[in-house]
Amino acid sequence: MTSSVAAAAPSPILSPKVVAAPPPLKAADRKVVPVVVAAAAAVDEVANEMHVLAVDDSSVDRAVIAKILRSSKYRVTTVESATRALELLCLGLVPNVNMIITDYWMPGMTGYELLKRVKESSKLKEIPVVIMSSENVPNRISRCLEEGAEDFLLKPVRPSDVSRLCNRIR
Amino acid sequence: MAGAALRDQLSALLSSMFSQGLVDEQFEQLQMLQDEGGTPGFVAEVVTLFCDDAERIIAEIATLLEQPIVSFDKVDAFVHQLKGSSASVGAQKVKFTCMQFRQFCQEKSRDGCLMALAVVRNEFYDLRNKFQTMLQLEQQIQAYDHKQQ
Repeated sequence: MTSSVAAAAPSPILSPKVVAAPPPLKAADRKVVPVVVAAAAAVDEVANEMHVLAVDDSSVDRAVIAKILRSSKYRVTTVESATRALELLCLGLVPNVNMIITDYWMPGMTGYELLKRVKESSKLKEIPVVIMSSENVPNRISRCLEEGAEDFLLKPVRPSDVSRLCNRIR
Repeated sequence: MAGAALRDQLSALLSSMFSQGLVDEQFEQLQMLQDEGGTPGFVAEVVTLFCDDAERIIAEIATLLEQPIVSFDKVDAFVHQLKGSSASVGAQKVKFTCMQFRQFCQEKSRDGCLMALAVVRNEFYDLRNKFQTMLQLEQQIQAYDHKQQ
């Protein structure tokens, strides 16, 4: 069927380069358009997907850090203690962890101790470890960095902090 | 109530929460995360976690302060936790009160701590009420929008 635009003789100045859109389908004729784009995006996601292990005893902070990471398309596993994190890592229950992000101060094992254990382990030492803390204590920060922490983030953690971080580690 | 009126109410509520310093930029960041991700319910989830947490901590602190001999270290640890989660959710006023509360813990002042506890409790209840109204309005708006489709 010809569109009304094509029927008019185009003048040299106004000849349309863009083909006129077909008239809209009636509701009954509308078909569902297969969503090819989504499939491609999903494949992308898996290929680029980083798996982050987030450790924090605060349920609020776990929810926030998980959301920030997932918004950047990372897969996130959250745990509430460093002991649990080590268990999962050593037992191979969280395979392919690309990064560990942990609160500094937690009851039981601290994030600093977790950092040391990870760096002492031949199996785990290559995994970058990021420490989060609500307190800006220079000694603490330098001790963590000396022990091999990838970075130190001050809480409350912002999306911009995390995206900067993940871009470096990728 | 019409959708526009509900939205106006929600907007006015959020405006006043920000201008009164009840919530700060961190809360705004959480709202943005929710909007960008297209995941309604994130703010509700975090707010609920915060309120549950705060309620528990306030009760623990109250119990500790009732003891004949107060363990100020333990009180301080709880206040530190509350300060942390209020900072993470953007509950600015509660966060600031926690900072002052920690001073009283350092000074080992039972009276100071009891006073700070009363203030933090009031501020938390006030904030919780506003959060609850906010979530109710959001639900009403969603329900209204859904009906319109």
